[in-house]
Amino acid sequence: MNENVISVENLVKYFDGRCVLDGINLEVPQGCIYGLLGRNGIGKTTMIRILLGLESPTRGHTSLLGSDSTNLPAEVRGRIGCVSEGHNLIQNYKVSRLIKLCKDLSFRWNNEFFEHLIETFRLPMDRKVRELSIGMRAQLNLALAMATEPELLILDDPTLGLDTVARRQFLELAIELIQQQERTILFCSHILSDVERIADRVGILAAGKLVVDCRLEELKKRIKKLQVIFPDAAPENIYITEIINQQVREREMVLTVANWNRQKQNILDTFKPSSCTEIPMSLEDIFIECTKPAQGVTLTAAQEIQNA
Amino acid sequence: MLKMLTLIKREIYDNIAYFVGAFVLSMILIICIVSAAYHSDDESAPIFAIALSIPVIVILIIGFTSMGVSQMYIDRNRKISTFLLTLPVTRGRILTARLIAGILAILTLFLPIIITTIILYQLFIPSVPFVKSMFFDVCTTLTLVALAYYSIGLQTGWMTGKVLPPLAGFVLTFIFASIIIIKGFGPEIQLLLIIFVVASVIRIWRKFMDTSL
Repeated sequence: MNENVISVENLVKYFDGRCVLDGINLEVPQGCIYGLLGRNGIGKTTMIRILLGLESPTRGHTSLLGSDSTNLPAEVRGRIGCVSEGHNLIQNYKVSRLIKLCKDLSFRWNNEFFEHLIETFRLPMDRKVRELSIGMRAQLNLALAMATEPELLILDDPTLGLDTVARRQFLELAIELIQQQERTILFCSHILSDVERIADRVGILAAGKLVVDCRLEELKKRIKKLQVIFPDAAPENIYITEIINQQVREREMVLTVANWNRQKQNILDTFKPSSCTEIPMSLEDIFIECTKPAQGVTLTAAQEIQNA
Repeated sequence: MLKMLTLIKREIYDNIAYFVGAFVLSMILIICIVSAAYHSDDESAPIFAIALSIPVIVILIIGFTSMGVSQMYIDRNRKISTFLLTLPVTRGRILTARLIAGILAILTLFLPIIITTIILYQLFIPSVPFVKSMFFDVCTTLTLVALAYYSIGLQTGWMTGKVLPPLAGFVLTFIFASIIIIKGFGPEIQLLLIIFVVASVIRIWRKFMDTSL
């Protein structure tokens, strides 16, 4: 069975007249580790909140594990683990009490595995959650989410606020856990290196749209950044489709294009450039290109980099 | 069912102060009632009941309104429901557990009093027959008053606009007080209270189900 665990159809969300999500379509199949990237405040958390039924969409439809997000039954919620941004645990509870509450409310609870995690993290059971450091709260949140052996794990910026060491520890453990059991994971972050280590498919949110949605290695292959020098002033429009970003400075044009091919090369050649050099791009470069305000092009062009 | 019990237990534990308060008030009232049963003559019993009900109503209004406010405000402020919804729990179950906890707190206050009174009636058969029915009218009305103000508290705690629910509380107090003075603790006020409680619960249910958490 390879059904879509996460399904988003034409999702639109407005906040006070401001469009945060503008027609998002996304499908995450079973077993996929999906990295959702985007700058702070771009709508990643909003999308996750809509998926979890914490927020209602303005338009569109979302579902998790085949159930409508706006009305997720308890049985489906029991198959989802969630580590949220800021780790919204019940702050005035003692760790032991919070654990008991989660254990009593969960359908499945792998106590042996949970105890192992608690020992690894050395979490103090007699302290209140609010007295824990952010790192400890992140670890507790992850342990609570993993103990229920979820089919779908949603990690919303789980390393936010962690120092470098804590972030590394958290990710190492997350990777170890992910590798142990095959499960679908939606990993949301603005830290690219984190996503690069975990995800096998990435989506990039920019200006309310999912401008990229493809496999990680495919993304690196398909996006090209070219430095083109013209004998005279660079043309304002070179009529190439799927331009992600275009910067013109006198004779020089720096062009980021999706799905670069022979046909596009031929179009560029008609402008008789003096030189055309490819600039190597890391995931971070791709992310920056996809998310920075485009000059002379709209982001809709970048939407073509979807569903490779 | 067990999950529901866990949620109810959580609500009781988090609001234990109100349960303790209700129990203490209940014990004080029982002492008053037992004392009245032994020392007062039957003719003064209705006056005693009415005199006792005035401070009790004030405590009820303040106590159960603040319980409702506290439950919802703390939830909203500490994002308790947001966290609970990451577990196998639905919004409906969270609110149902909360309402059950509220009703249990009200019963903690009234149930011991009603039981004590029933026992007392077995021991001292009142010479004036309307005393018994009047006492149960007072108890039923006060239970409904507690429920009404608890539901106002729930709305006040949940909504961002803090003016309307307290205003409704003041208007309601005025209406109820007027009806009690004119008609007593009879079926008219009870019907009005039932309608108000049902409408309030429906309103808070819809708000809780629709609001972003």
